[in-house]
Amino acid sequence: MTQTGTTADEVAVAPDDVTSVEPPTSRSWWRLIVLGIGALVFVFPFYYMIIGSLQKNQNTSLSGIVPQPGNITLRNYGEINAALNLGKTLINSGIFTGGVLLATVVFGVLAGYALAQLRFRGRGLLFVMMLLLLMVPFQLLIIPLYVLIVRYYGLGDSYLGMIAPFAINSTAVFIFRQYFLQLPKELFDAARIDGANELRILTRIALPLVRPALLTAMLLTFIGPWNEYLWPFLITKQQSMQPLAVALANYMNTVQSTVSNPFGTILAGAVVLAVPAVALFLAFQRYFVAPNIGSAVKG
Amino acid sequence: MKLRAIVVGALTLSMGLAACGSGAAPSSTKGATLSYGPISIWYSNNAEEITWGEQEVAAWNSLHPTQKVTGQQIPASQSSEEVISAAITAGSEPCLIYNTAPAAVPDFEQAGGLVPLNDFPGAVSYIQTRTGPLASMYKSPDGQYYQMPWKSNPVVIFYNKTEFAKAGISTTNPPLSTYSEFLATAQKLVSSGAAKYAIYPSPSSEFYESWYDFYPLYAAESGGKLLVENGKATFDSPAGQAVAAFWAQLYKENLAGTATVTGDTFADGTAAMAIVGPWAIADYQGKEGSPAVDYGVAPLPTSKGNTSYTIPTFSDAKNIGMYASCKNRGTAWDFLKFTTSASADGKLLTLTGQMPMRQGLQKAYASYFTANPDYTDFAVESAHVIECPNVPNSIQVWQDFRDDWSKSVIFGTSSPNAALASAASAINKLVSSSSSLP
Amino acid sequence: MPEVPPLEAELQLATRGSEMKLEAELPPGTRESRGTRLARAVLGPQPIGLAFGAPYGLFIAALFAYPLGLAVWISFHSYFFTAPGVSVARPFVGLANYEAVLTDPEVLRSFLNILIFLVINVPLTVGLSLLLATALNAAIPFRALFRACFYVPYVTASVAMVAVWLFMFNTGGVVDSVLGPLAPVPSWLVNQNWAMPSIAIYVTWKQLGFFILLYLAALQNVPKELYEAASIDGASWWHKLWSVTVPGVRTVTTLITLLAIIVGANLFTEPYLLTAGGGPNGTSASPVLLMYQIGIEQNHPDFASALGVILVIGVLLIVGVQRLLQRNQT
Repeated sequence: MTQTGTTADEVAVAPDDVTSVEPPTSRSWWRLIVLGIGALVFVFPFYYMIIGSLQKNQNTSLSGIVPQPGNITLRNYGEINAALNLGKTLINSGIFTGGVLLATVVFGVLAGYALAQLRFRGRGLLFVMMLLLLMVPFQLLIIPLYVLIVRYYGLGDSYLGMIAPFAINSTAVFIFRQYFLQLPKELFDAARIDGANELRILTRIALPLVRPALLTAMLLTFIGPWNEYLWPFLITKQQSMQPLAVALANYMNTVQSTVSNPFGTILAGAVVLAVPAVALFLAFQRYFVAPNIGSAVKG
Repeated sequence: MKLRAIVVGALTLSMGLAACGSGAAPSSTKGATLSYGPISIWYSNNAEEITWGEQEVAAWNSLHPTQKVTGQQIPASQSSEEVISAAITAGSEPCLIYNTAPAAVPDFEQAGGLVPLNDFPGAVSYIQTRTGPLASMYKSPDGQYYQMPWKSNPVVIFYNKTEFAKAGISTTNPPLSTYSEFLATAQKLVSSGAAKYAIYPSPSSEFYESWYDFYPLYAAESGGKLLVENGKATFDSPAGQAVAAFWAQLYKENLAGTATVTGDTFADGTAAMAIVGPWAIADYQGKEGSPAVDYGVAPLPTSKGNTSYTIPTFSDAKNIGMYASCKNRGTAWDFLKFTTSASADGKLLTLTGQMPMRQGLQKAYASYFTANPDYTDFAVESAHVIECPNVPNSIQVWQDFRDDWSKSVIFGTSSPNAALASAASAINKLVSSSSSLP
Repeated sequence: MPEVPPLEAELQLATRGSEMKLEAELPPGTRESRGTRLARAVLGPQPIGLAFGAPYGLFIAALFAYPLGLAVWISFHSYFFTAPGVSVARPFVGLANYEAVLTDPEVLRSFLNILIFLVINVPLTVGLSLLLATALNAAIPFRALFRACFYVPYVTASVAMVAVWLFMFNTGGVVDSVLGPLAPVPSWLVNQNWAMPSIAIYVTWKQLGFFILLYLAALQNVPKELYEAASIDGASWWHKLWSVTVPGVRTVTTLITLLAIIVGANLFTEPYLLTAGGGPNGTSASPVLLMYQIGIEQNHPDFASALGVILVIGVLLIVGVQRLLQRNQT
């Protein structure tokens, strides 16, 4: 069997995770076919979303898959903007997500580091609580949380109220902890002997070593609040406070027959909702790679 | 590890034991001095009602600059009841909501969210003078008014004249008066290819959907019985069974669709008929890409036959509620009266085509009805409407009914008569179980 | 790099052994005052850990433990929401809510729906993600592009993807147009038999990217030598798959199964948006959707909380069983 495909040298080229691969054989073609079909299936809905959002009249037949010159318009984007005020809702989404990211970076890193490398009374308790939180569905807590946050804290229709239950992402804390655990203890002991306080150790020594993991956890944390629907929906009753995910979902539920291409308008909103997250990931995708995630969730 | 888990569990539980709100007196205003000042209101997201609402708010604000009213559309959701309910719990609902469904009033009342209007001097006579004998349907079991009857949309049959003509059916006097006539017409419409479906009420399972298929026909067939009267379900009866059999036939022969669709099936011509009130007429005027519907109106059928608009039907009323978080109740009451005055009602009628719940409509707005003779039928019907019963657990009652209806009539997986019987027994339990308001 | 201890060992270490190790953790040669020594004895060698962990601890206490406790409390009482300042009797009712939940046909149907979902979703997820990860695990052209294609659905809002899915699978949508006479009538999402499977396929598609990446990572740790040895023995690729790859990634398979089950049990957004509530005749209602409808829309949080507690117990049971099986295998 002749070897088509790559040689051992070429295997080493990709700087990321191709370290243990099956020996290159002529089976590369089957990989490409499988991956090609898979990629097509995965990406088609996105493509269709964009096409659908540009249609003047709804065209759901097979011919509608390719853009028809006479049926292209940007009007749907104008209409969804008129219905939802895309700018404001995007800003609301941004503030919501940004708040969560900030709280998770600051407090989550502290907690992850403490859980990993520091010994203190109550550490076990904190760890068990974190695990429990990861397992309990958010929806069980929604009802009492709603009463708590809106009535007792008076945070209804506020950014703080939106952010509160998501403020510190426990998955991120878990990932931080896993990464900090990988750092050798001797490193810290040496620093402690030198008289450095813990905060210094964390910021000067530990953090730089796990920076890629930090980014990975941040990217994962971004997904939650940006795409979250139920909680902001409960909390925000005023349209001016709603993030885009909520506003779009409400629009889908109550779409009046007053726009000429209701689905096109909805899809235009969907494109606007999807683009920032996708763009972010494509830009940072080299951090969203296997070893970072893999070692984080091992065990 | 086990000990840890127990400690964790105990801690968690103990933290939860400091539950429920501390007690204070419920929301009665009686005897207290009324306060005046700015208030906020919600109106529905119906385009015409928004216009009316904005006009009224602007008119009031120019007359009362120190008691400004802020109006906004009710936040969008699958049902307005869940939005209002959530807001009541949070204490964040506005003073007045011009979209209070009578079926939701018992639940809002139970939660202590509504202000009894009887507290306001002259309120009872104001309500009864304006609405007349129909007002008694809106009293709560304790005899007070927790809602102001505002407007109704008497449910009748709309039919598409173009599609009827295509099927060779008379467009001036279509045979729709008895169940058998109606069925025959429906079969002709579909088999001739004039329309995909004869009639297409929404088959989804929200609690309110029965108001647009079962309830109007039941009102007509039973001579005006409510779903529940004197604490007992009334529909496990020949009238109820006749209505169920009628709809079951329509679904079985695929004359009515069983799949939920977005958009209005009458407006886009998928269905040749609709069972709805005058608010929908605005959607039938056509827009870019789809033509207007040349519609006609017919009264509801009964098993024995009916051709008049004096037969009872469902009101599809939306009322005004004053809610517990309201601080400036004096202003709220005055604004309520302002927006239900003869002139405000007239503007509502002109702008939206919906029927204000005011007795003597045709005489009071004779010029409107002369200019819009089609709407006279709605005015006549509006004097014969029935309402959802004001009983405890009202929403769950309708949900249970809808679930049984769906299974048996729409999806045909059980016998309609058996379903009606089981719904009736479940509902009887529901309306008798709850204690009344303190 | 030191090996990361598996979760089990960590748990035991953290909970049982931590106190005893407190004293011994200090690096040799540290000098400190008596006060500090006392503090260390009570609070541990690095008491500042308390300060580091405090915000997170407070967050958990206030926004997780307390609501969880409250939810459990509500499930044992007759409870409905009231306006602020309204006091109402909330009697203890023991297990009445739980009884009502377990005998409610809608609830039972929703559990069945989740079972249907899991039966479709979990094997598909595990199988497809392993297949695609294996295919990706080589230096092939456009590798990064393929990888990006797979996780793009994962990072996109479900609301956005639901919109497209609705558009595609609607009655008369493009899928029905392509399938022509083969399309189910009524269409997928409004069809009693196809509603839940449609949701299962949607969720599989959406989450697959994340799991592919997990498998990719695990495949890195399968030693090359094992493959080479199998090749020398003349094993076919199929045999290699089953005797080398699958056992090699067993831990991740377990993890993925667990995650898929947790996600499936907590399904809400997809039934709520894709099938507008409970779907045709309640065939795509999920337990969490029912919790929302009954707890918030119908103002029966006591019933909903009981349902939620039962759901959590169910998930914990499944997780526990999984762990037991895993421990027996290793």
